[in-house]
Amino acid sequence: MQSELQRDKLKTIMFFLFPSILGLLLFSIIPIIASFLLSLSKWDGLTRWNFKAGVPNIVGFGNFKEILTDAEFWKVLGHTLYFIVLYIPLILFSSLLVANLLNNDFKGIVAYRVFYFLPVLTSWVAGALVWKWVLSPLYGPLNEMLRFIGIKGPGWLQDAAWAMPGIVLASIWKDMGFFGLIFLGALQGINIEYIEAAKIDGATWWQRLMKITLPIISPAIFFVVVICIINSFQLFPQIMIMTEGGSAGPHGATQVMVERIYKYAFKYFKMGYAAAYSWLLFVIIFGFTTLQMKLQKKWVHYDE
Amino acid sequence: MMNKTIVKPILFYLFASVLAFFILIPFFWMISTSLKGYGALMSIPIQWIPETISFKSFAQIFAIFPFARAIFNSAFVSILSTTITILSASMAAYVFAKIKFRAREKLFLVVLATMMIPGQVTVIPIFLVLKKLGLINTFTGLIAPTIFNAFAIFMLRQYIKDIPDDFINAAVMDGASYFRIFRSVIMPLSVPIIMTLGVITFMGAWNDYFWPLIILSDKTKMTLSLALSQLNGQYVSKYNILMAGSLLSMIPIIVIYIFAQKYFTSGLQLGGIKG
Amino acid sequence: MKRIVNLAVTAMVMFIFISTVTAGGKQEAPAGGTEKVVTVDYTNFSGSGGNAKFLEQMKETFEKQNTGIRIKIKTVDFGNYFIQLQTKIASGSAPDSYELNYENFITYAKKNVLMDLGPLFKKSNFDTSMLNKNALNAFRADGKQYGLPESYSTVLLFYNKDLFDKAGASYPADDWKWADEQRAAEKIRALGKNIFGISHPIQFWEFYKVVQQNAGSLLSKDGTKFTVDTPQNVETLQFMVDRVLKSNVMPSEKQMAGMGDWDMFKSGRLGMIVTGIWAFNDFTKDCKFNWDIAVEPGNLNKATHFFANGLVINKDSKVAGAAFEWVKFMSASKEAARIRVDAGWELPASTYPEVMADYNSKTPPANRKAVFESLNYLVTPPVVEQMSEMTDILNLQLQAARDGDKTPAQALADAQKELEKKIKLK
Repeated sequence: MQSELQRDKLKTIMFFLFPSILGLLLFSIIPIIASFLLSLSKWDGLTRWNFKAGVPNIVGFGNFKEILTDAEFWKVLGHTLYFIVLYIPLILFSSLLVANLLNNDFKGIVAYRVFYFLPVLTSWVAGALVWKWVLSPLYGPLNEMLRFIGIKGPGWLQDAAWAMPGIVLASIWKDMGFFGLIFLGALQGINIEYIEAAKIDGATWWQRLMKITLPIISPAIFFVVVICIINSFQLFPQIMIMTEGGSAGPHGATQVMVERIYKYAFKYFKMGYAAAYSWLLFVIIFGFTTLQMKLQKKWVHYDE
Repeated sequence: MMNKTIVKPILFYLFASVLAFFILIPFFWMISTSLKGYGALMSIPIQWIPETISFKSFAQIFAIFPFARAIFNSAFVSILSTTITILSASMAAYVFAKIKFRAREKLFLVVLATMMIPGQVTVIPIFLVLKKLGLINTFTGLIAPTIFNAFAIFMLRQYIKDIPDDFINAAVMDGASYFRIFRSVIMPLSVPIIMTLGVITFMGAWNDYFWPLIILSDKTKMTLSLALSQLNGQYVSKYNILMAGSLLSMIPIIVIYIFAQKYFTSGLQLGGIKG
Repeated sequence: MKRIVNLAVTAMVMFIFISTVTAGGKQEAPAGGTEKVVTVDYTNFSGSGGNAKFLEQMKETFEKQNTGIRIKIKTVDFGNYFIQLQTKIASGSAPDSYELNYENFITYAKKNVLMDLGPLFKKSNFDTSMLNKNALNAFRADGKQYGLPESYSTVLLFYNKDLFDKAGASYPADDWKWADEQRAAEKIRALGKNIFGISHPIQFWEFYKVVQQNAGSLLSKDGTKFTVDTPQNVETLQFMVDRVLKSNVMPSEKQMAGMGDWDMFKSGRLGMIVTGIWAFNDFTKDCKFNWDIAVEPGNLNKATHFFANGLVINKDSKVAGAAFEWVKFMSASKEAARIRVDAGWELPASTYPEVMADYNSKTPPANRKAVFESLNYLVTPPVVEQMSEMTDILNLQLQAARDGDKTPAQALADAQKELEKKIKLK
């Protein structure tokens, strides 16, 4: 009886996982293994290659060594981390704000739900072009508004110190609706009676936030932080469109990891080098993510 | 008390509208640009509202390519991709969230890990896999890879994990199989997240021009976003035409979103028993 | 919910069905007759942005003349062109024939993915005399002809006549030197806060040429050493940078505020702009003032940037003969040249006098002969396999100088160091 149930369970697991595992193998694992093999090579990404060919012009870990000893890698990593440090707190704050606003049932709430989500529905191609204009110090509305309240706005994308914050602003605009919606779903899971009861018990606003709201939405926060970190390390389309010109921003101020990987892979014909770069990036992201997986046991409360 | 019931809505509308205003400014520019003639694009001072409204950019887009065919192709690919992604990902997420087995967490970490390698270095290997499978220049080649979507699995797993086990145990008591639990408990309770994910996945497929570009070569198979990407010349990008194209291609996504958002809160019954 | 699941399953079944059908429909029946029809794939970027209809005309004309050959065109926008091309070539699915710009041609030729056209020249007794010699030579590498020129361009000085009149400056003349240009630019700059004298982009494709106007160069004569940081070149960069930072006749990045220099010229706020003849069509359509062109002024020498798009054949193409017919038609036939000139779609690389006469008679610009005069001063960029990487390294330093973050001497010294480290010369 017991073993029959076990067999049944195993069959179920296999059935439910089958489509994803099939896709995972074909379209992720195999290509990723290929990219690892290529990271050990000096392949240019142009001359013909297939899986049977193995590793062309093998150099072992030479690419890795070369990248790690080049100042460029550390500079670019710095830019990426700078983005993350600015982006993560801002996106958490703004999407929680959106979620709180939408967690009401005032008349016309649907309209706001649509408005806040519109940037999410825009492709980066259009979104980034528009933001180039928003951030234009002469022709854009942002500095116009700053002037209105008496602040002289910076040169944004044309200024090495302000280009990255400009990219962050555009990214917040694009993403806050989506993450706001995820938080909204979580907030709506909170039982109102519970909060009312806490109020009657004399719990302050702060206590209610720390003891009820945050624990309940903690799985959502965990999801958002993990996804944001993975995405931020791979920041790319907005950089390419907003600060293109081959050099990413005022003399390279917005050069980031994936921008470099793209250039090495498809502009400089150094696919092996690009693959090695990608694997270093992978190690970094993986480190961050497993760390969060470990830490989540301390602060994320599932309702299981 | 009276005061409070008035003050709260006022505060809400004030705050929500200010935020909406800032979020909508870029769209205002998109629309205004798409209605401008070329000369008006670069005038100083900026013409916030075009002096003369011209629909030429829209007309130009319709003139360039077989629009109806491209829309059909895009819809076909996007709808199928979305359906397959959602179905396959929710099945996997159910296992990762609710059925315990050895190595489950390790396998899940592998799923997450696939998101951490930048796509740029897997383009050629993926193309080679598709070529081996004989899927080049077919819609299948475009749709097949969507069967695995790590992001969707992760998002659904977070949500399903949060469904109280009591629900499942009650169904088990009634003699429900894993399939019945999936179909009658997990899926219905996950409608809000499935809708959100559905909109996002649809949008991703609808806006994607990179893979259609790589995989498809017949003109009859061209998708909308691929057609729009050809509006760029080697030397000039015409903002008015680009913006008109972007706006046009956004319309179906917005319609779908407006339809889907009705379901975003219908999972509220979940909240009733939580906390 | 059940219904949704059922619907999904139905959709999946339908999908599998439809995809099998579409996959099955791939084989095309040969179009009648006893003659075997071959299909040649052709991938290009120049048909994007509204030129597709002219390309279609060429294809129709060609297919009428060559009933045994069908051309399958794929047009990709320039921004995505090379990544998709590279993917196809690397995985052995390269199109039979495709378009390459001059900058990428060298790299592709050196990586040995192109077919040597020499034997095909002989086989079909192809007479190259009607092709522009410079354009033809641009697609040679290591003594082999790997491509045919399709169209070419030179870079000229475009000027806004109305602004010159307003400023009381005399129009650019053939004997102009840098100093003359500078004087005119200053007069125009004085017209207003938002009006600038000149835009002469401080980037690689200008810099390699401007150093030669000042009798300098980026590479040693034998091509084995970088000579980027010579005092001569520092002087050249200083001159370019001073226009931005000192006399400010050229707008800084902040003054451009994200607007492109073409847009600035077209809006009538730029007296002169150094750019390619590919701007003709666009300027004709959008400029609401009188404008003309002149050969660029030099300092010690005159030098003009030359640029071309070429057509190549994949090394492993199974229909190389047919592909060559197509490439030849696009490059050297009178019909293709005629379609190009009538459409104003770049300057054909062939030199049929009557077609060229048509080209010359079009205005604006009135001074079209400057296009051909400039050919006397052609300089080509250094031929380096790591072209893009070299370009980006130099650009980064040139920008630092332009924005005033480094002195020209410092920027060029840094560039020299970086280039020596990263770029292999022969």
